[in-house]
Amino acid sequence: MKRMGMMMIAVALCGAAQAKVDLVTVPTRATVQLTIYNSADMTLVRESRALTLKEGDNKLQFSWANTLIDPTSLEMLPKLNADKIDIQDLVYPPRVKNLGLWNVNSRISGKSPVEISYLTSGLSWRAFYMGTLTPDEKKLRLEGYVRVTNNSGEDYENAQTRLIVGQVHILDQIAQLAQREHPYGSPVSIRMANLEAAPANRPELMKAKRAMVAGAVAMDMAYEAAPKEIKKEGLSEYFLYTIEGTETIPTGWSKRLPSFDTDGIPVVNLYKFEEERYGQQVRRFLSFKNDENHELGDTPIPGGSMKVYRSTGEDSHLSYEGRSSFKYIPVDEKVELDLGSVQNVIVEPKLMKFATDKYKFNRGNISGWNEIRDFKVEVRNTRAVPVKIEIKRNLGTAYWDLDKSGDHGTFEKDDADTVKFTVELQPESKKEFTYQLTTYHGENQER
Amino acid sequence: MKTKWTIILLAGLAITAQARIKMVALPERGHTDIRLDNPSATLIEEERVLTLQQGLNQVDFSWKGVSIDSDSIRLTVLGHPDDVTLLNVSYPPNEAALVWEINSKAAVEEKVRISYLLSNIDRLITYKMVADKEETKVDLKSFLVLRNFSGEDFANARVLLDYGEAFERGIQHEETKQLLFLKAGAVPIEKTWTFDAAVKPWDPEKVSGNVGIPVSYKIKNAQESGLGKFALNGGKARVFQDDGSGSTIMLGEDRPALVPIGEKMEVYIGDSRDITVTQKKMTDTRINIRRNNKNQIVLYDTDELITAKIENFKDKPAKLTLIQHIPGQWDMEKCNMEYKLEDASTLKFEIELPPNGKKDFEMHYHRRNIRP
Repeated sequence: MKRMGMMMIAVALCGAAQAKVDLVTVPTRATVQLTIYNSADMTLVRESRALTLKEGDNKLQFSWANTLIDPTSLEMLPKLNADKIDIQDLVYPPRVKNLGLWNVNSRISGKSPVEISYLTSGLSWRAFYMGTLTPDEKKLRLEGYVRVTNNSGEDYENAQTRLIVGQVHILDQIAQLAQREHPYGSPVSIRMANLEAAPANRPELMKAKRAMVAGAVAMDMAYEAAPKEIKKEGLSEYFLYTIEGTETIPTGWSKRLPSFDTDGIPVVNLYKFEEERYGQQVRRFLSFKNDENHELGDTPIPGGSMKVYRSTGEDSHLSYEGRSSFKYIPVDEKVELDLGSVQNVIVEPKLMKFATDKYKFNRGNISGWNEIRDFKVEVRNTRAVPVKIEIKRNLGTAYWDLDKSGDHGTFEKDDADTVKFTVELQPESKKEFTYQLTTYHGENQER
Repeated sequence: MKTKWTIILLAGLAITAQARIKMVALPERGHTDIRLDNPSATLIEEERVLTLQQGLNQVDFSWKGVSIDSDSIRLTVLGHPDDVTLLNVSYPPNEAALVWEINSKAAVEEKVRISYLLSNIDRLITYKMVADKEETKVDLKSFLVLRNFSGEDFANARVLLDYGEAFERGIQHEETKQLLFLKAGAVPIEKTWTFDAAVKPWDPEKVSGNVGIPVSYKIKNAQESGLGKFALNGGKARVFQDDGSGSTIMLGEDRPALVPIGEKMEVYIGDSRDITVTQKKMTDTRINIRRNNKNQIVLYDTDELITAKIENFKDKPAKLTLIQHIPGQWDMEKCNMEYKLEDASTLKFEIELPPNGKKDFEMHYHRRNIRP
């Protein structure tokens, strides 16, 4: 199967009534800009083309076979003489697929640059990260990357590439809109759309491209001395990343680009214990803030997966500490990278005593009582680095009192039936604290 | 399959059981109107000239390959309504057709208008908005999308909507046409963030993804917005934003419902992750417990305290609409922010958040007279 690119043919009608038709092939697109989203399979493509218009009625034909373009998103805007060029309508002719026809009335003739924009599916990007801890685990080097993948069926050459970080609300999948039998559907009760295979599923096509591209990549590397910069700016609720220069990403290919590289981020080794959430084991987190004090804070950090390594200190060797995925982190927000369960930090709550008390009776039945539980919590850090541990206890009722003693660190009520102890431990040390929990039941809740 | 339908004049007067003999005199279709003013059905009105003889005439009207509601067909005599009278309408068996019996006082070329409801031809409305970089206004365009899957080709017709000017367009069977019909520049917008405590998770930390606070643009369909001439029909709206460097990004899309004049169109564009709400219930106990003589609880009140930490990580101010719900009978003991009652159980707070600012919300209330 041979893939067709997009082609534009200008059909200029010499006078409305005359049957003579001039077929003009328009030069390929002059520039192209891709704005790729990652919360949805959607890319906004904006391309400029130089049309030659004649005075009077012009018909411009645009076709997009074997691509994943949403035909309802097509728009053409004149870049010059907008007041003299009237786009009358966009027609999707009957029984022809993947083709649109613009009827343009022009009061000028000659070269007219236009901008054509549309949404396509099949291009995507994601962020991923590599973190490297110093041997003492106090500092982190964070390297961010983006990986852009093109499965759109269209080769975009020398495209200005932009990435959008944000949660866009969309109603329909662009890929589905691209494969509808009629651009806007049909009022006739649902006909099974004659779906074409997505271009991504055509291995022979990808293979054919491979040899050519390998050459191109080698060439790129030959004269690109430094990695490209990514410019970041906020727009509405989103962040726009603009990759320096242009990129050529043939269909089927992806590209990894460095987004940022920050060294010396102070981190806290945070451990959490909450039986109802994590079971008996302690969970390890790396915590820092996306702010200036942590060498960050210029822009939000898009969510992605992260692999955390630790420098062993000898000859730049690394050890792998774990992987985590994190959410989008706004500027000034704290980050907690969940690195999974560990066994080298231990929290052991033990029920040391149980008693009931303050009974109330009504007609011989129990109508109120208290339950008193004495807990002992032992916290051990077997690691060679200092750690901070958050211990959450769910009390199961909103009617309670708590009396604590020992090395319990800071204590706070988390919500109506949860409390939190935060304990800091030196390397290879342990702490112990106790608390007495009194819960009130039946009539004893009326205090 | 495309089919034409025709008007056939019958010479014979009586319709009998024998095969009907049709004498053909094909009147050309004259001026045609496609009326799309009712979104649920499309009315076609077409003019034809009938050659009538003096006395009784039978006019056979049949169609094939199109779906016409036969009860909707009307004949209006335009030329000589006093002399030409429609006597009755009959439907032949097993045919998509009807026969008009027309009395004419003289032999005449009579112009008539035939109206009927035709299926599978309709229109959609879509919107495209481009907001400025500061998000204070949008350039609004609305497109009309004509879809003709009726089986009938219309070479040229006058297309009428429920507003705006009529225009001439032809549309073939299976053709879709998109036309710009409304353009309004610099329409003021209001941008809002909404957190509904009944819809969104309370503790973002316990959710695997970002919670996201829904963000909407609101546009008033009124003269001061450059609109307000007619109700804005419901349809898909795509919102873009000027990026300040000659291009745009897409902000999102939504499908607002019909917006009458004077009301606001709300377009939900996406979710903000730069505003977070962490809500907690700090107290939830029963008070004023009343018991029967068996000491069983029959009635009680509650003591409830809800707190929320609202953080704006943006370097711009934002106005958050916070929606809280308290069911049944209740009274507010203390609340550190002003609210408006949307209904008996829905409280709406408008909270101004400074850039990079934080606000603590606290609501202490009692639900009253609850039966267990």
